[in-house]
Amino acid sequence: MLQKTFWLLCLALLMTGCATGNYVVLLESPDGTTGAVVIEDAQGQTRLDRKHQGAVIGSRGFGSGPFDVGDLRIARDFSDALAAQPALPQRFQLYFKIGSAELTEESERAIEDVFETIGQRGPSAVSVIGHTDTLSGQRWNEQLGLIRAKAVAEMLRQRHIDVIDLKVSSHGERNLLIDTPDGVSEPRNRRVEISVR
Amino acid sequence: MLSDKDALYRFARTVLVLGFLAASGLVVADEISEPVGYIMKVQGQATVTSRGQTIDARVGQAVIIGATLRTGTEGSMGVTLSDNTVMSFGPNSEFTLDEYQFEPAHEELKLSARISRGTLNFISGVIAKLKPEAVELKTPTGTIGVRGTHFLVKVSE
Repeated sequence: MLQKTFWLLCLALLMTGCATGNYVVLLESPDGTTGAVVIEDAQGQTRLDRKHQGAVIGSRGFGSGPFDVGDLRIARDFSDALAAQPALPQRFQLYFKIGSAELTEESERAIEDVFETIGQRGPSAVSVIGHTDTLSGQRWNEQLGLIRAKAVAEMLRQRHIDVIDLKVSSHGERNLLIDTPDGVSEPRNRRVEISVR
Repeated sequence: MLSDKDALYRFARTVLVLGFLAASGLVVADEISEPVGYIMKVQGQATVTSRGQTIDARVGQAVIIGATLRTGTEGSMGVTLSDNTVMSFGPNSEFTLDEYQFEPAHEELKLSARISRGTLNFISGVIAKLKPEAVELKTPTGTIGVRGTHFLVKVSE
């Protein structure tokens, strides 16, 4: 009788996911959606695609399918790991006047907020990538993209913002935000993208 | 029709070319120690081991392919990779970045890592977005295929 109770308890523990051992829990993504993970172990494949859904890795057969993981258990097991999460990567777009490295008036205002946000993150790795529309030739656009990126990088340096790594490059007209044929003036493609992580 | 001598010559040439490619590949792999990420947060005891050398982790320190990250009983650490993958570890964790390729222009995308103990908070980046099957996290009892974004893993000792 006692033994039977014991096994029932074990089963209940397994089903509620309180069994010790290796396990994975899916969380909501920063953008509010929920992705998925697939666990592959000796038992086969288990797919998790609901938030707070968990599964034992290397499960012991019956009663060890996906289970719900409560906030308390997440806090108990993962509060330190979650507290150590770095600031999430961010991207900013700044727009330029036609054929120049001069910011549009709107972007000139926006850039101060961008720098402030970057400064508040603490030391980050920053990539500054220059882009153009397809109006001029490919080779000039490659250069123009770089001139734009360098102009933004210089402004960043002048603010004395602490960065771990600063990479400046140009995609010229190869990476359009708005897809256009060749030879088209498109304000939204004349931009510098600042990627901070 | 090919004579035996021709066939042998072709075979030898193929072996030579393959051998050369393999050798140059090794040289390249050895030379590339470009940072693929940086340590962004550190609390308590945490170390990074790269190429057999172990040093205390600090914010801004580069993470290269093959690096092993460890945290002590009160330690934790956060890392961001160049493809925007964000990871953080709780106490008593050990994690190794085995493979990493992030060259979207050449469609070279791979992230293979291993957690042998501890806790991991993982938010996938661009590699998982562009090629979900290219991201895998190994644990002692099974492998997690990352189909997107945010999850937690605990590996008990």
